[in-house]
Amino acid sequence: VTTQLFGSRVARVEDQRFLRGQGRYADDLANDAQTLHAAVLRSPHAHARIVGINVDDVLDLEGVHLVWTNDDLAGAMAEPLPLLIPHPTLTHGRTQYALARDEVNYAGEAIAFVVADDRYVAEDAVGRIRVDYETLPPVVGLDAARAAATLVHEDVPDNVGARMEQSNGDAPAAIAAAPHQLSLDLTIERSSCQPLEGRGVVARWDPDVGRLTVWTSTQTATGVRAAVAAKLGLDLARVDVIAPDIGGGFGVKINHPWPEELLVPMAARALGRPVKYIEDRREHFISTAHERGQQHHVEVGFDDAGRLLGLDVRFWHDHGAYTPYGLIVPIITSTQLLGPYKPDAYRVVFDSLYTNTVMVTPYRGAGRPQGCFVMERTMDAIADHLGLDRTTVRAANFIQPDEFPFDQGLIFQDGRELEYDSGDYPAALEKLKALIGWDEFEQFRAEMAEQGRRVGIGLACYVEGTGVGPYEGAHVQIETSGKVKVATGLTTQGQGHQTAFAQIAADELGVRFEDVEITTGDTRRMPYAVGTFASRAAVMSGSAIHLAAKAAREKALRIAADALEASVDDLEIVDGVVSVRGTDASIDLGTVAVLSNPLRYAFDKASQAATQFSVGDPGRPPVAEDDEPGLEARDFYSPERSTFASGMHAVIVETDPDTAEITILKYAVVHDCGRLINPLIVEGQIHGGVAQGVGGALFERMAYDESGQLLNASFMDFLMPYVTEVPESIDIDHLETPSPLNPLGIKGAGEAGVIPSAAVFAAAIEDAEGLPITAMPISPSELFELRLRAQEES
Amino acid sequence: MKVTGEALLHAPVERVWESLLDPAVLVRTIPGCERLVSTDEHSYDMTVTAGVASIKGTYAGTCLLSDLADHQSLVMRLDGAGAPGTIAATVDVGFADLGDGTTRLTYDADAVVGGMVGGVGQRMLTSVSRRMAGEFFGNIDQVLTGIVPMTSAEVAGPQAALAAPGQVFTAPRAAPGAGPSPDFLRGIAVGAGLVLVGVVAGAVLGRRR
Repeated sequence: VTTQLFGSRVARVEDQRFLRGQGRYADDLANDAQTLHAAVLRSPHAHARIVGINVDDVLDLEGVHLVWTNDDLAGAMAEPLPLLIPHPTLTHGRTQYALARDEVNYAGEAIAFVVADDRYVAEDAVGRIRVDYETLPPVVGLDAARAAATLVHEDVPDNVGARMEQSNGDAPAAIAAAPHQLSLDLTIERSSCQPLEGRGVVARWDPDVGRLTVWTSTQTATGVRAAVAAKLGLDLARVDVIAPDIGGGFGVKINHPWPEELLVPMAARALGRPVKYIEDRREHFISTAHERGQQHHVEVGFDDAGRLLGLDVRFWHDHGAYTPYGLIVPIITSTQLLGPYKPDAYRVVFDSLYTNTVMVTPYRGAGRPQGCFVMERTMDAIADHLGLDRTTVRAANFIQPDEFPFDQGLIFQDGRELEYDSGDYPAALEKLKALIGWDEFEQFRAEMAEQGRRVGIGLACYVEGTGVGPYEGAHVQIETSGKVKVATGLTTQGQGHQTAFAQIAADELGVRFEDVEITTGDTRRMPYAVGTFASRAAVMSGSAIHLAAKAAREKALRIAADALEASVDDLEIVDGVVSVRGTDASIDLGTVAVLSNPLRYAFDKASQAATQFSVGDPGRPPVAEDDEPGLEARDFYSPERSTFASGMHAVIVETDPDTAEITILKYAVVHDCGRLINPLIVEGQIHGGVAQGVGGALFERMAYDESGQLLNASFMDFLMPYVTEVPESIDIDHLETPSPLNPLGIKGAGEAGVIPSAAVFAAAIEDAEGLPITAMPISPSELFELRLRAQEES
Repeated sequence: MKVTGEALLHAPVERVWESLLDPAVLVRTIPGCERLVSTDEHSYDMTVTAGVASIKGTYAGTCLLSDLADHQSLVMRLDGAGAPGTIAATVDVGFADLGDGTTRLTYDADAVVGGMVGGVGQRMLTSVSRRMAGEFFGNIDQVLTGIVPMTSAEVAGPQAALAAPGQVFTAPRAAPGAGPSPDFLRGIAVGAGLVLVGVVAGAVLGRRR
């Protein structure tokens, strides 16, 4: 009997290829002399009117094939880029042009596009373009955006793109009537996700068949395909988009189309030659997207037990110069802020504000780290105020296991009710306390204090809406060789889909794991898909693959039952062989595939078995009316709403009494993403998320100067954690509360590791130092400054 | 970004004032300055080759001196643009005669550095700009104290007491072995406008926290 693959620690099959340098990333494609290379002229100013652009010096440069400015764009290409996710409250949504027209609104905005024999010539050509600017005062940072002394867009009053309010009950009244009240101001700075591979686009136009193929480092191949077809005026059927191997996405590659994703295919078509654009690191810093920058004001009312009676949150979200991705990030903050808790009354109001900085789109966690920071800081403040243990206050506010499904009374980012499907938060907290040694910490603190060492402990809890719709699909085909080809449309950026999805398909079909091949992000194989974001791939495509494999299995059994003259109920499939239980009668799945496709012509020995003089009932059509040839199936999964994963992190930090250096001594994670497909991969996701979270909490920020120049636009200046800064080990415990919303009971896991980082580190540092930590990230210098200020005040 | 500083020059204020208004002096004392074209009284087009760290390039720019209060103060407005970036700066320059044959020059610059120089080069700006300002004032001082003689041969075009519009000034070639080579100077140059002024120095430009 085949062992169950679902739930087992199967090693990732894709790693062999990656570790041996056999990955095929965008820059590995089309490496021949035919291919031309693009470079982009970007605005040096954060805010300026373009008075004139002179490309005369480029035109005669040898090796230059094309130079475009906004004037060269026509039709849909001359329109602003799409506003992907409109929302009624986004009253002043704005998007940029593929190439800036009249005005630039951030340093890095694309102005001109050059295609040349190689990147060197293209860059030289970019350097010869002369642009006359009339600089305008820039709006940099949330303080300036809120003050609105100057405007980013002349026609957007007060720099406000959107104002949104949601409430459940009368929070202000509940706070006023509460025995205790607190107010807090909490800030999270801007950061960015920095995938190792930046954006990359390769396009090839085949003039013989009139067909465009685009390879792009994206999190949504179908999204780019639709955008390219619409913008270039091509029939959808003439455009194929393929996401090759992708060196990390982390959210930034879900936004689309980037200007280059349109300009490169357009140039390939115009020139009749392949064109490639590979983003460099500086371009990634100044021309993709950032996230996280928000200011929050909290009013909270609570009882003697720390129960939340009313919670009123006002926050300001810096969305940068444009809003192509709508309000997804602040909506997620405003809803997921609630975490595992159930305040009696809640109100949240946010302003989404323009600044003359790089635009904001989701970065792993997508608004949740900010929300978690706000709620968990509030919990800690309540515990401090009442003199209660921080875990006690949290436990007093948890939604209980018997209260699911639990409706928070708000609308989530997918337009559906914020209704939690399942979870067990009290059990998770008990696991976390045991894992980190919560109850033993005071003793540890005392021991450390004796050695002159200063330590602190913190915890943070979160709930994450994962697996948002609308749908994903899968196509499963069993070939005559017995090999199984599975295609799903969303893309892969390192999540281990080739392994996890093969586990699901192999289990359902009863085939060997190694006989399953997974294809993702190729619109030729699965043209209906949404994309990889919001921790949705396992839930959405995993479920779709399960459903499609189930349908393929049913067909295989039906054909095999005919061939074996047995009842379907008596059949089983093990290691790719269909057999009648308890007998010797069997047939390979490959042979079943042969029989599924009635043939006129035999091309080999196996196919002879399917020709018209060999099979079929002469009294019936070879393919029945309700049937199709081939052993394949396609199915889609479309859930009513998101499924809500949850987790809790705890950390013990040491702060140096002299240098304020922050060291991680112990990090613990309790994680509940429903049933685990592959614990090894889930743990890998948590490790990566924690590492990224350490970066966000202790190191990373976007250092804009007052004129809107990003001063740390390189890996020499933008600090990312090395392995030396990441905890040596992460203690992980899983809880498996199945989701009732999908057939496999799974929930998403991709973003979880990064969500509570700012909150948990702030809590631990505050605990070590006895100083309120209200802004993250925090560096040793900032901690040192906080100490000085506290000394001055006391 | 704001940049302030001061320098001590070994000449009375009248001579310092004249030197700073003399394009023939400026063209040979501003590091990396290759060409100065007088467009109006106290107004110049300039070409400067400069680099910050690995970001090197040639910049075209303008320099306008205004609000001249003789021997006391002036305002310098600079604009420069090249492939590696842009600069726009307003510099308030003050002159104080110390009475002992020396002059203290103070400057207060408000500069916006854009593009790659502003982003990638910022880490180098502090140390490099200190060095550059020192070099500029050193050069001026050498002219003032006669270590480096000024000759009229370095002025191309018709001789005139005041620079006439269209008059072109070019920097002399350094004699072999006489001081740092132009390449060396360029290598340590600060960036378009910073070099244009030559007075931008000594301030902490980075905003890393």
